[in-house]
Amino acid sequence: MSDSAVPGQDMPPKGGFSSIRYERRLPKRGPSGVAMFAICGAVMGYGWYRLYLGLDERRELEREKIWSRIHLTPMLLAETDRDEYRRNHAAVEREREIMKDIPGWEAGKGVYNGNRYMPMVIANVPLHQRPGFKKE
Amino acid sequence: MVNPGYKNFKGEDWVDPTPPPAHLPLVDEVGSTGAPLKSASFFIGTLCKEYNEDFMLCKNENRNPEHCLLEGRKVTRCAIDALQKIQSKCQDEFRAHWKCLDGKNQDLGRCRNPEKGLNECLFTAFGWKKDLPGAPTNKPQIHERTPLTS
Repeated sequence: MSDSAVPGQDMPPKGGFSSIRYERRLPKRGPSGVAMFAICGAVMGYGWYRLYLGLDERRELEREKIWSRIHLTPMLLAETDRDEYRRNHAAVEREREIMKDIPGWEAGKGVYNGNRYMPMVIANVPLHQRPGFKKE
Repeated sequence: MVNPGYKNFKGEDWVDPTPPPAHLPLVDEVGSTGAPLKSASFFIGTLCKEYNEDFMLCKNENRNPEHCLLEGRKVTRCAIDALQKIQSKCQDEFRAHWKCLDGKNQDLGRCRNPEKGLNECLFTAFGWKKDLPGAPTNKPQIHERTPLTS
């Protein structure tokens, strides 16, 4: 055992301990948050702008297509009307010829009570009115 | 493969060969296929505006085909007249445009180059101009823009 009466105590070095670096010191890498936010916004803004251009073009193409059809509709309708009138007229004439022996028969009389025009639902063609016709 | 229900179906059996009734004045049909009509549609529309609107108003009165035969004949004559006018001056451009429409699924947006030639030719020959009703006025119309994708 030692002779000393006072035990030796551990003490800090002279002038105290040096300070400890406790905060993180990472190297600075990449753009800041604000810059990333701004870049992201710019890219998205350009994308939305291109999308607007595309939608606008598509809408105008659709408008062009529809108007080209609208301009042609009266012509096509007139042509179809003439053909429909011709076929209806021929059907009524055939009916008159077939039913000429029946007294009181009105050829071409509609099955409806009103005067509104109803197009024929069943195709009225001469073939089916030939005697002895049987559908295959 | 033929649908079994239509195995013995002959199309000519369903055609009514009766000529039109004699009391109607004869009128030539347009007799054009879809692509030339689509190519000329805007010019038919502007040239025959009165006849077309007259016919459609008449159809609005009564849907019976007998009711609007007179107006319909005027519409058809006007359309034939417009097509003949186009072919008299701009036959090559017109042909190029409707051939393009035939090959491109009748998509007007994919035939801008031939259409440009046709429109310029018709403008110099007759002063006709293609105009889209209802298009926004603050920017060029769709046929005058450069397409985003070709």
